[in-house]
Amino acid sequence: MLTFLRYGVIISFFVCTISLCILVLKTLLFGKKPLHSEPQGVENKGILYAFGKGMMPWEKESAARHLPTYIAGILYHSGIFAGLFYILLLVIPFCPSLFLINALRILMLCGIACGVALFLKRIFKTTLKNISCPDDFASNILVDLFLFLALIDTFISIVRPVLLFTAILMLLYIPVGKIRHCFFFFYSRILFGLFYGRRGILPQKQRQFKV
Amino acid sequence: MNNKEAVKDPFEEKISNLKSEDLRKALQIFKEKINYDYAAFLNTCVHCGLCAESCHYHLTYKDLKSLPAYKLNLVIKVFKKNFSQTGKRISRWVGAEELNHHVVKEWIDSLFGRCTLCGRCALNCTMGINIPYIIRTGRSALAAIDLVPPGLQSTVDTALRSGNNMGIPKEDWLETIEWLEEELQQDVSDSKARLPLDEKGAGMLYTINPREAMFFPLSISAAGKIFYAAGESWTFSSDYYDVTNYGLYSGDDEAAGIMSEHLIMSMKKLRCHTLVLAECGHGFNSNRWEAPEWLSRKYGFEVKSILQIVADYIRVGRIDLDPSRNKKIVTLHDPCNLVRLGGIVEEQRYILKHATANFVEMTPNREKNYCCGGGGGQLAMTLFTERRLKVGKIKADQIRSTGAKVVATPCHNCIDQLMELNKHYKLGVEIKTVCEIAADALVINKKKTNTFHSLLSS
Repeated sequence: MLTFLRYGVIISFFVCTISLCILVLKTLLFGKKPLHSEPQGVENKGILYAFGKGMMPWEKESAARHLPTYIAGILYHSGIFAGLFYILLLVIPFCPSLFLINALRILMLCGIACGVALFLKRIFKTTLKNISCPDDFASNILVDLFLFLALIDTFISIVRPVLLFTAILMLLYIPVGKIRHCFFFFYSRILFGLFYGRRGILPQKQRQFKV
Repeated sequence: MNNKEAVKDPFEEKISNLKSEDLRKALQIFKEKINYDYAAFLNTCVHCGLCAESCHYHLTYKDLKSLPAYKLNLVIKVFKKNFSQTGKRISRWVGAEELNHHVVKEWIDSLFGRCTLCGRCALNCTMGINIPYIIRTGRSALAAIDLVPPGLQSTVDTALRSGNNMGIPKEDWLETIEWLEEELQQDVSDSKARLPLDEKGAGMLYTINPREAMFFPLSISAAGKIFYAAGESWTFSSDYYDVTNYGLYSGDDEAAGIMSEHLIMSMKKLRCHTLVLAECGHGFNSNRWEAPEWLSRKYGFEVKSILQIVADYIRVGRIDLDPSRNKKIVTLHDPCNLVRLGGIVEEQRYILKHATANFVEMTPNREKNYCCGGGGGQLAMTLFTERRLKVGKIKADQIRSTGAKVVATPCHNCIDQLMELNKHYKLGVEIKTVCEIAADALVINKKKTNTFHSLLSS
């Protein structure tokens, strides 16, 4: 049974990856317009900014204004990556050290707490609730459940079949719903960096005109 | 039935008379305007809502309809319904919706009426979605079915018909230049000082916002005086000189392309090597960044903002400024299209620091600055005047807290809005362009002027 589910996880991982690639290809089918205006800045610097300084609360007002949500978002996503890493360990299979397991437990615990907090925020904050669709709630529940089961599994492996089954479900759901942003986030941030970098807006130019 | 009921608003009537082929056409244009990066953005929004406070509409109204994510979602819904498998199969689950009468009404109200395309939300988006460009795509679809709010559309129509957005007849333009030239000669005490017109082979073609010719001739004089002091080789064009391009706001790329082409025609006719754009935020974004994309070709000449030119004059010592001539406290409003979307950030500061004795920054400033509320075509859309003035309170408060007596801004759209805000919120400030302030501080050094003039002539 477990072997079957392990293979299920591997297959669904590939299905997920291929589906995400198809989604990206579909966006590319909309066509790439060659740019004709003369660049004023450096695109690569813009990309570096987009993934570095441009994500920091002192640079991004939205993060500074919503610091708890911003931190919760970071912890939530760290927990998710820890959960996925744990699944990888189960599938290989590989017996991790206690230190590594403890580190994953902490990350997953933080992830669950933050995931639930963000879910509650979505329910109780009217504007957020009103811009949400069922997919927003379902994605959160599915990921929280996955994290919860992964955390339990680090203590008692009796839940393993359910965990692996949830992992399969989650991997298959990624390209369908909003969790696809795990892939599109990088795509969008690169495009953000290209736009602002090319125009020399961000990062701000060296002060050529310093008084 | 009273008269009010009998006379139906023609714009409203147009919306209610939309046929299914109109909606199909809008959708078709919507699809044509989406390229791979927009498609990626349309797949990315996670409805986190962190963009809320970055928008001056949401900060003012605090309602759902003013939330950038909500406005963006109006476009995403239609994208999903038509161009994604999940949107087609499980519409309600992923929040997809067909483009129908109801959505069209919401698009007009939100995409035109609750957004200045200032791009502050994009900068604050967790995912990095270029929200104003997506909103503009929605505007493009509406423009395709003739649903651009009347004031904005008539500005575009006037520019297409007469070559400038205010419909200034050529004779009036020539007459304006003539009397401004006489004033310049008196001002600099030099009968040879000129505002050159149609001078073939001049280095620079200087464009203006037609509002300068109609209502703000001092802006033209200021630029002329600076060019005179720098001994520049430059010219105006008698036919196409309008830096504005309201096609950027209406979303009509074809019209925008025609307007940009007008300036290219002047450049070719006069064989200039640099197109110099007057102080106009959207004019800069349009002609510097967007026009080559609308026209799908590279320019064969340089495009610069007048601010870049003047800052360079100061840097290399081509003009001299005396800051003690501007003693009042001056603050600077950053136009969104010039700064956040255009990348001209430090030049205006450099000029003002040399031209004024008391320069203070607003908070926040540069690319983080708030929109004044006049962008996105809002000044032309009387339909949304009340909202425009209400959202402008953020800017009014920003200005008030600096304690400044003069607000400089390198954009005539912003000037119009700031003048209204000045009156509405009783700010008691003067509103000026950066060049006007620089011209006030200008120290005319005839020897230097003549040296540069003869150098350039030779």
